[in-house]
Amino acid sequence: MSDFLTSLTIAAGGLHAQSARMRVIAENMANSDSAAKVPGGEPYRRRMPTFEAVFQREMGAYKVQVGRIAYDQSEFQSRYEPGRPAADERGYLLYPNVNPLIETMDMREAQRSYEANPNVVSVTRQMLGMTLDILRG
Amino acid sequence: MDVPFSAAANAYGAAQRLMGQAANPLQQDAKSPAQGGDFASLLSSGVGEVLATGREADQKAMEMVNGNANVIDVVTAISETEIALETLVTVRDKVISAYEEIMRMPI
Repeated sequence: MSDFLTSLTIAAGGLHAQSARMRVIAENMANSDSAAKVPGGEPYRRRMPTFEAVFQREMGAYKVQVGRIAYDQSEFQSRYEPGRPAADERGYLLYPNVNPLIETMDMREAQRSYEANPNVVSVTRQMLGMTLDILRG
Repeated sequence: MDVPFSAAANAYGAAQRLMGQAANPLQQDAKSPAQGGDFASLLSSGVGEVLATGREADQKAMEMVNGNANVIDVVTAISETEIALETLVTVRDKVISAYEEIMRMPI
């Protein structure tokens, strides 16, 4: 496999990784109001993707892969909502430890990282085209 | 000027030998066309490669239509096919233009 095709494959791996990250962010955003269902129960816990470099023997290069999707161990938010059946005896209800601001920033980061990979693809293709232009001359 | 009697005959003989030498390689080539198959094999292996990547791209596109494949995989497969095809076409154009140049050569 030529270096150009390898870089295309690796860039495609980057796209995959960032799309998986985006999926996790979507989960967090969508579940930001998924409160506990029973008194004392746990609400939705925020998830965080991890990325790891995996050596690909056939390409001789490192590809990015989504590793374990970890759970955020920070504390849940507690809101005073005595009317809710899932509230505890003091009237507090547990909400997910999802901060929309952090998710928005994460989303922006995923967007930028995603954007970088198609740039790699287009520059690689430009270089390939330049090489072919030698023959067209 | 002293010209030997046999000069004209010798020159004629030499010319005939030259013509014979020039004609012989052509005859050999005509007898064994497989020997000159370098470009043909290059082209057929190139076409085979493009065909294989093209089939893969087609399969990915069909999977995507069925809702099974990832858009990223489809786009990557199609772009790889495009690159392979572009390379093949460029090489073919170059070889054909070289051939045409040879054919235009005044003999």
